[in-house]
Amino acid sequence: MQGSSGIGYGLKYQGRCISDVRADTDHTSFITGTLSLREENEVHLIRLSSSGTELICEGLFSHPNEIWDLASCPFDQRIFSTVFSTGESYGAAIWQIPELYGQLNSPQLERVASLDAHVGKINCVLWCPSGRHDKLISIDDENIFLWTLDCSKKAAQVQSKQSSGLLHYLSGGAWDPHDINAVATTCESSVQFWDLRTMKKTNTIERAHIRNANYDMKKNHILVTAEDESGIHIWDLRKPKSPVRELPGHTHWTWAVTCNPEYDGLILSAGTDSTVNLWMAPTSAEDEATSESIAESATQQADPLLNSYSDYEDSVYGLAWSNREPWIFASLSYDGRVVVESVKPFLSRK
Amino acid sequence: MVEREKTRTDDVPLDDKAKRMRDLLSSFYNPDHSSAPKPPSDYENLDAINSTSFDPDHYMNVLVQKSNLEGLLRRHVEMAAEIKNLDTDLQMLVYENYNKFISATDAIKWMKSNIVGMQADMEQLLDKIMSVQSRSDGVNTSLFEKREHIEKLHRTRNLLRKVQFIYDLPARLSKCIKSEAYADAVKFYIGAMPIFKAYGDSSFQDCKGASEEAIVTVVKNLQAKLFSDSESIQARAEAAVLLKQLDFPVHSLQAKLLEKLEQSLGDLQLKTVRIENILRESNDPSKQGKPFESIPSTGHEVSVHGFAEAIRAYRVIFPDSESQLIKLAQNLVIKHFEMIKQCVKRRISSANFLGALRTIWTDVLLMDEVLSEASLADFSLEAGQVTVKKYVASTFTYLLQDISDALLKVKVSPKEEAEEHALKLALEASKKAVLQGSMDLLLDFRQLLDDDLGLLVKLREFIVDWVQKGFQDFFRALDDRFLLLSGRKNPSSQDQGLSEGAPGEKVLVGIVLVLAQLSEIAASFSGDGARGYENEHAFASGEIRQIFRSAAEKLLHHYINMRTQRVSTLLRKRFTTPNWVKHKEPREVHMFVDLFVQELRAVQSEVKQILPVGLMRKHHRSDSNGSTNSSRSNALLDDRMTQKGRSQLLETHLAKLFKQKVEIFTKVESTQESVETTIVKLCLKSLQEFVRLKTFNRSGFQQIQLDVQFLRTILREIIEVEDAIDFLLDEVIVAASERCFDPVPLEPPILDKLVQVKLARSKEQSK
Repeated sequence: MQGSSGIGYGLKYQGRCISDVRADTDHTSFITGTLSLREENEVHLIRLSSSGTELICEGLFSHPNEIWDLASCPFDQRIFSTVFSTGESYGAAIWQIPELYGQLNSPQLERVASLDAHVGKINCVLWCPSGRHDKLISIDDENIFLWTLDCSKKAAQVQSKQSSGLLHYLSGGAWDPHDINAVATTCESSVQFWDLRTMKKTNTIERAHIRNANYDMKKNHILVTAEDESGIHIWDLRKPKSPVRELPGHTHWTWAVTCNPEYDGLILSAGTDSTVNLWMAPTSAEDEATSESIAESATQQADPLLNSYSDYEDSVYGLAWSNREPWIFASLSYDGRVVVESVKPFLSRK
Repeated sequence: MVEREKTRTDDVPLDDKAKRMRDLLSSFYNPDHSSAPKPPSDYENLDAINSTSFDPDHYMNVLVQKSNLEGLLRRHVEMAAEIKNLDTDLQMLVYENYNKFISATDAIKWMKSNIVGMQADMEQLLDKIMSVQSRSDGVNTSLFEKREHIEKLHRTRNLLRKVQFIYDLPARLSKCIKSEAYADAVKFYIGAMPIFKAYGDSSFQDCKGASEEAIVTVVKNLQAKLFSDSESIQARAEAAVLLKQLDFPVHSLQAKLLEKLEQSLGDLQLKTVRIENILRESNDPSKQGKPFESIPSTGHEVSVHGFAEAIRAYRVIFPDSESQLIKLAQNLVIKHFEMIKQCVKRRISSANFLGALRTIWTDVLLMDEVLSEASLADFSLEAGQVTVKKYVASTFTYLLQDISDALLKVKVSPKEEAEEHALKLALEASKKAVLQGSMDLLLDFRQLLDDDLGLLVKLREFIVDWVQKGFQDFFRALDDRFLLLSGRKNPSSQDQGLSEGAPGEKVLVGIVLVLAQLSEIAASFSGDGARGYENEHAFASGEIRQIFRSAAEKLLHHYINMRTQRVSTLLRKRFTTPNWVKHKEPREVHMFVDLFVQELRAVQSEVKQILPVGLMRKHHRSDSNGSTNSSRSNALLDDRMTQKGRSQLLETHLAKLFKQKVEIFTKVESTQESVETTIVKLCLKSLQEFVRLKTFNRSGFQQIQLDVQFLRTILREIIEVEDAIDFLLDEVIVAASERCFDPVPLEPPILDKLVQVKLARSKEQSK
């Protein structure tokens, strides 16, 4: 619809992942990494200038391998995790940005710890979303690992491990921001929910081809999932039989969904059709009382799609809301282009 | 100025002056001075001039002190005038008093002279009255004896006459019975009743027995008369009245008669049942053509007539029994309508429905004549409303059922794969069901509206409303049903979905396409057809059309989704199973391409049956010259890949820049080409995404290159290849090269050879 509103920033190579630096309370900054099989990969720390019109490279660090997943530590802005691959094998590590950043001559990152208990393909590393917590979760194809991280001793230890079971190839996960002991993992045919204290499955949603899942930051029990062909679904975890709402998603696969940390029902989705869609799909608690058909007809009246950002050249895989300024999000398309946009014009319309 | 002032003082204190005058006069006539109210001893008060305690000196002093000279002079003039006035008033009063006194004296003198002679006249009058009284007493005593005697004689005579009557009663009664003058008989008997009651046990025993016997026969005769239908109603009514006079328990009779009526009503209903049976039979396809009215109306009408007559009679006989009768009549109507309701459940044509309604209405009119208080017309109007409404609703339900039946039937048939045109037939059948069904429905309703039956005339407005509402609901329900059949909706949310069996995954993909097209048709029809019919009424055809349009779009998308999903699973398997890093040299095109092409052909056959042909946009592309094209794109790729190294990404970016961004995902139209290319594009995009998620060695990359090359060739044979598809195929190879450690492409001659081998083999297979 409109192209020029976003602020762009180019990575040298292709990239898949971007993360909001939550612990940085003074600036709106994002961290992203490149995905290049044959070149030297980089991690970029990007800051939105105070005027909000420019993206400044705050740090540029070389990273040994191509980065498949990247997550910033929620309580220390200098710490982040990556999942990387040499092409043949995978690894995951916690990194610390060295003190002397500010100069751009690719200083080395300090490796705080290696999460090296994995065998197969590692999918993602999750930080506990609720503040300072020394627990980490890493998910590979078949297992979930719960780690205890000690930054001062530069060590990470496996606290517990659980296999997902036969024929369940995990593809990702999400940590419940309302319950420190609950984690959702996605696999080919379902979403599974785990209790970290017992490492037992507590619940499942049977649904094929879920690619990404994200908890509602504001409301308990609400999970948003993105599926290959059939768009976005919003679930109430107390009623796992059928979704509360359904959004059309993208023309091709919906790759990522993320709920806004501040505004209720504001959902962002990125797709392989080279668009980012902004949705407004509030799920009210009263829905439980009214019958589904009524709720459906009522919601049909208002188009949940607020805007479609289509100024991308390639599939968009990376997507992150800023926690500091929750009306700002960053997106990363495969061609290595970071675009930061503000959704303010669509919020005021309400 | 002084003048004016003076006139004012004359005017204003007139009240004041008059009051003072009155006071003065009253004090003059009042003898007791002491009792007069003492004026307040307020020396300052100028008004106190009339009081006894008035002190002139003091007054003067005050006046002189308070007033100026002008005031004093004015006061003086006022006072002089007042004094003069008082004098004249006094004089006049004295004259009047004197006059009155003189006239009073005259009156007293005249009275005295008149009263003196009256006493003597009064005494004379008293004497005369005394003598008149004594004479009248004498006459009275002399006549007393005679009068007493006469009275005695008279009483005896009366008694004798009564006795005579009583003795004659049995004979008279029997005479009456003979001549059937029951009314007289009853009158006589009732007249004699008190005597029988008083003396029946003693002197008139025989008489009483005889007459009671006679009366029993009278009662019997009357009862017979009452129950005999051959008697005139008048006579029966009289009989009832007479029986009532005889203290006969009429209520039991009434009940009995009512029972009889009810029984006849039951018979009537039995008859109507038979009518409805006939009605139902006439609904059989074999007898459809027969006109309805001729069959049952004669017998039915006669019986209803009978019933109406009976009610009329009953009403005359027992005038106070309306409520029961009303209940009875309403019962009849209710039963009638229930019968119709039963029939409506079984699906009847509007002609039959109309016939049934007409029968009821004639009945109602008949009854109404007899029993207007029951307001049967209104009552049946209410019942009719419900029934017609139900009829409308059920008709729509049946239409819906028809349509989904037509669809479901097809659902079974395509299982025989040999049936080439199964989908086409399905579309035709369901299209017919929708169009013809709705049209018939409209004609039926039109028939209802055009009929001049009283009931329907009154309901006309309602019917139009119902039909409109019914149509809207119907279209909505149809939309729902389509979505349900397509398996898009969660069946658990709708109860009716359960009867369809579990749709969901099992639903045939082709049907979704049929539904999509059907929705399109329904959209155009619901607009035009409905408008043609109800043009004078507001009909939300636009809204309905919108619903169907969006449903059609939704279903089309759903179809595309289902198809691409199948390819997606295919691709997923293809890319997750092998270890791409340790891939062996490619020797032939991988099997998944065949499967993909097979899926595509299936889509094509389905699409061809259902969807219209779109505009051919790129004719020049249809002549497939795969080799030149492929070599060109190969050259481009080679170009891109020989310079592998640092600037590779920049290279691709630049290439894209110059290539002009290709819009991959355009809006889907419901034409064969559009649907086909959309599916192909979606699948190729998926292929690209899958490739991007993997890492390849050189052989793996070459395998992808080979597969894509073959795909490129074979796609040209199957569908219109537009730029976007070419672009996507290139993109797949680019993605693979990016994800490869050592992207060295296959030599073009080897590539061509492998493709040719595969082409030859696939052609052989198809033969």
